[in-house]
Order: sequence, then structure tokens, then C-alpha cells
Amino acid sequence: MAREGQILIRLENITKEFNGTIAVRDLNLEIWEGEFLCFLGPSGCGKTTTLRMIAGLERPTRGEIYLRDQRITDWPPQRRNIGFMFQNYALFNHMSVYENLAFGLWVRRVPREEIERRVRSVAQALELEPVLHLRASRLDLSTMQRVALARILVIEPQVLLLDEPLNNFRPGLRELMRAELKRWQYQFGRTMVYVTHDQEEALTLGDRIVVMNAGHIEQVGTPDEVYQRPATLFVASFIGRPSMNLLPVEYRISEGRAFLVSPDFEIPVDERREIIEKSRSLPNLILGVRPEQLRIHDPQESSPPDLIRIPAQVDLVRPQGRKLILDVKTRSGALLQMVVPSIRRFVAGEQLEIAFYPHQILLFDPQTGKGLC
Amino acid sequence: MSNRIWVSWLTRWGIVLIVSLITLAPVIWVLSLSFKPPQEWLAYPPTLIPRQPTFENYLVLFWPGNPVGVVSEMVRTAEPVTRAFLNSLLIVPISTALSITIGFLAAYGISRFGAGGNFLPFSVLTTRMFPPIAFAVPLLVYYRSLGLIDTHLGLILMYTTFTLAFSLWMIKGFIDGVPRHIEEAAILDGASRWRVMFTITLPLIRGGLAAAALFVFIMNWTEFLFALVFTSRFAVTLPVQVSRYAGAVGRYYGPQAALGIVASIPVLVAGYLIQRYLVRAFTFGLVK
Repeated sequence: MAREGQILIRLENITKEFNGTIAVRDLNLEIWEGEFLCFLGPSGCGKTTTLRMIAGLERPTRGEIYLRDQRITDWPPQRRNIGFMFQNYALFNHMSVYENLAFGLWVRRVPREEIERRVRSVAQALELEPVLHLRASRLDLSTMQRVALARILVIEPQVLLLDEPLNNFRPGLRELMRAELKRWQYQFGRTMVYVTHDQEEALTLGDRIVVMNAGHIEQVGTPDEVYQRPATLFVASFIGRPSMNLLPVEYRISEGRAFLVSPDFEIPVDERREIIEKSRSLPNLILGVRPEQLRIHDPQESSPPDLIRIPAQVDLVRPQGRKLILDVKTRSGALLQMVVPSIRRFVAGEQLEIAFYPHQILLFDPQTGKGLC
Repeated sequence: MSNRIWVSWLTRWGIVLIVSLITLAPVIWVLSLSFKPPQEWLAYPPTLIPRQPTFENYLVLFWPGNPVGVVSEMVRTAEPVTRAFLNSLLIVPISTALSITIGFLAAYGISRFGAGGNFLPFSVLTTRMFPPIAFAVPLLVYYRSLGLIDTHLGLILMYTTFTLAFSLWMIKGFIDGVPRHIEEAAILDGASRWRVMFTITLPLIRGGLAAAALFVFIMNWTEFLFALVFTSRFAVTLPVQVSRYAGAVGRYYGPQAALGIVASIPVLVAGYLIQRYLVRAFTFGLVK
């Protein structure tokens, strides 16, 4: 597992331009020895470009890349000893599986017996022995994936880079292969850098997640950190499904006490005053609350004094099996999404009271998009 | 219902039959002509099957002054085709191989590195933008001063140059079809560019190379104008030799037809040898 401090790869102020358009802007990142690091972001955010720069397939326009304190920015990819798994696996279709696996060793002039031994041992670990003699073009997708991984493992790379390797799978198989990947990482214990646009994949697989958007890093953190304490509005809205409710609120002080005020509610925020007052766009703030943190309040029940209650009307009911997604509209017309257990039926137009605890809310600066916490 | 199937069956095979007849008719005619004695060459009404079949036309190709027959009398002064045949068998494969090799290397650079920008690949095409005769005159001047007239080297250089546009553009299309990721995977495996080119890219486009090679081979094999202008005796090729079978009274269709048949044999052999790669070339699009 990842231990902080043992830095394997360091990216320093990396910028990549393609014909004047900036794909990656001033990126700084450390990749730790043995970790499973996920790059997560919408397509075109620069995650694949970053991966290709680590591999040496693209040269950064500015900035440096270090591998164990050695500057490798100018090293050709052949010298870096990095495994790269492509989205479509890029197997050598004109060769057998055995030749595919042996290719990397063969070009490195490894002796024949050694090649044989290493290919066999990797093939055994990934259960590829029965297909070793087949042409790569004859394989099914999941076998192709295993061959692609085996081909990389056999050269014993410093780090494995994986570029959306599960994209070709249909949904059911995807989950299966995801579990398989995680198992492999335990089994082989190698540093893996994984690119995906699928947040579920990133949250399940990653020891740490790098959330990217428009060529820069929004946040680096463990799945929990990224989910519970998103650093920016982008992360907050990108991660989590259904996505976080974001509402504009105003910061006000009355009679010496601090409040967040919206047409529907008032939240006392005395304990966060210091942090909030650092924001430059005051009094305007954005409040974020996760759909699963909103609950339906039963008027008969007694409620704790700090519970914030908002009267609302059901706008749309979206059943999801054991859960429901409710779209509710507050009196001021704000739309909120909430996830509730499907213990009873809801109908559109129904009046109810929704509630949440003030300590659960997140606050963001509307101008910079940064989180305040 | 069954009527409709009949109609579609008839239409399909009818079209196939007509197209085959149109394509094959000249070949069949030449074949029949090559076995006809002189009085039947231009006989009216024409005969498809010679009334008096003869091997004379073939015999005179290799033994012009032979003592038998009328045809031999006509072409008494002609040279045996052996020299032209050997010339063609030397010049055409060499220039084809050169054209394909240079074309592959150039196409790789253009496809993968954008070598020469937009200009270079198009400038190669200029060799096909003018009628060949426009090049013939200035080249004749060059060739004279270089001493390349009526030499094998002269024709090899010329054929390589003028087919390069085809090899380059055809092969470039096939290389473009090889996914970059496959080459990148090999590079990350530690392979050098040259190694990637020859062990990964080349085998993947083998069929395309075969198709281009066959095409260029046929072009060179049938080339007439340059061969006529730039050779006189020593480096004469088959198409020129064919034209030699003519006299003051007209063309000697019999020997011409016989030579046409003999000359097409190497092309048939080449096509047959290359056939299995060609099928791969046509299914190449399946490689993802």
C-alpha cells in the first residue's frame, strides 16, 4: 500500500501545448511508490496527455518529470521502463500471444531461456497459458486485456500506466474486470496510474484520486477526501451521483451572530465564521449539500434544535430500486435532489418537509470556486 | 415470389457474364490470333477458332530465321525475343522493388512524422501530372550527356521515379491505417523506431505492400513510351519488341499476338504468387 514520502514520479510545473491550445497547464503532482493513483475528469481535461507525458510519448512544453529524483524529461520512452496499457490494448495482431509477451524482452536482448521463464510465469499468474499459441487477433476482450497487462508486467516496469482500459466492456463485465484489476494490483504490488472518466471506477480503485478539469488539477486526495471534502465547486458537482445540491446563500451578521441566509432557511454558522470571512466574494456564498444528507422530516417527531427544516413540494420521483431520487422544489423555487430509501410511495405535488444538519453543509466561494473549510 | 428470385438471379449472373465477356474478349481474341496463319489474321468474316491452327507465330519469336513457313519469311530481320524478355525480367522487378522500398520508407516518414510537410507528398505527384512525353524530351538530353541511353540502369531509374508516386501514396494509405498505439506499445516495450517499422508496421501492411507491388510491376511491365524513346538495341524491353513486328506492308499480327501471350505469363505468375497477400490487403480494414 502507498506510504507517503517514497516518491516514485514527480511532475513539476508541467505544461503541454498542442498548436497553441493548452492541454495541461502548470501541473504539479507526486506519484508514490506502490499506490494506485486514479486520474479522474471529463474527456478532454488533459488526463491522457499527462499519462502520455509520464510515458514519454509526448514531451512537455514546459516543466520537468522526475523518476526517483532523476530528471527524465528528455529520456526517450524506450529508456524509461514504463508499462502503458492502451484503451484498445494495442496488441500485435500479427503475432501469437507468446510473441506478444516476449517482444519486450526480445528487443532488450534477454537470453532465450530467461524469456521463456518470465513469459511462462506471467502467463501462469494471469491464466494465459491455454492461449499462448493463439494469434492475438483471435482473442476475446477480457483475454485481450489480460494479454495487454501481461505484456507490460513481463518487462517488470517501474510503473504501470493504464488509459481507460475498461472502456470497451459492457456494464456488467466492467464491474467484474474492475474487481480483477484491483486484485492484480494487490497481487503484483506495482505502482499503477489509472486514467478514467468514470467516478465509480476511480472511487473503487484509487488509493488516491487526482481530479482534473480543463488541463489543471482540481484536487488530489483519497476517495473519502474527494467525496466528503471536495476542494472546489467542480469536484463537488463532478463527484457523486446524483450530484451535490448547490444553492446560493448570503452571509449576514445580525445581533453579533453569523448566519447563512437563503429565502428558504437560515443557518447559524458562528463556529465557521473565521473561515468564511476570509472569502473575498462576501456576502455571496454557495452552499453544497449531498442528496443523501437531505432527509424527510416527520412533523410528528420531535427534532433536535439544530436541524434545518425546509417546506418543499415533490416535483419528480425517480425510483432506483432500493432507493428513490426525489426532486423537490422549495417555496422560493429552488430545485433540490435527495436520495431516500423507498419505504413508501411519493407522488408529484406532495407537500413535505425536508431537513439537514448544519454541520453537513459545504461552503464554496462563488468567484474562485474554492471550498471554504 | 419465386419469380422475383429468378429475376434477381438472372440479372446478377447476366451482369457478371457481360462484364467478364467485355474484359476477357480481347484476351481471347489475342489468344486465338496467336495461333492463326497470316491469311486468317484479318480474314472476313473473322474466325474465333483458327481454321488452320499453327505454332509458327510462337516459333518465329525465338527463331526468326527458321526455315519453315510464311511468317518466318516476313520477320526474317527481327531479333529473337530472348534479349527483350531477359531485359524486362531484369529491369521491371528491380525497379519495382526499388520503388516499393523507397515508397515504404518515404510513406512511413510522411505518415508518422509529417516529413516534408504538406509539400513533399504532393510534389511527388507532379511526376504524374504531365503526359509522360513532356518529360521525355528534357530527359533525353540529360540521359545523352549522362550516357544512360539504351542502358538497363537508365530504365530502372526512370521506372523507379515514375512509379514512386503510386507506391508512396498507396503505401501511405496502409500505414495510416495502422493504429499509432500499436507502434507506441512497441516503443514502450523498448523497441527502436527502425525495429518498430520492420517488426510491427511492415508485417501489418504486408498485404498492402503486395498490392502496391503488383500494381507497380504491371505498370512497369507494360510501359512503352520511355522504353521506345530511351532504348534502341541493347536494353529493349518487351513492349518495344512487340512493336518491332511490323513491316512496310503493315503489322504482323500473329507474332505480335503470340508475344502478347508469352509476355503476360510473368504477370500471371506474379499475380498468382501475390494473391494470398492481396486477400489480406482487402480485409485489412478489420485490423483495429
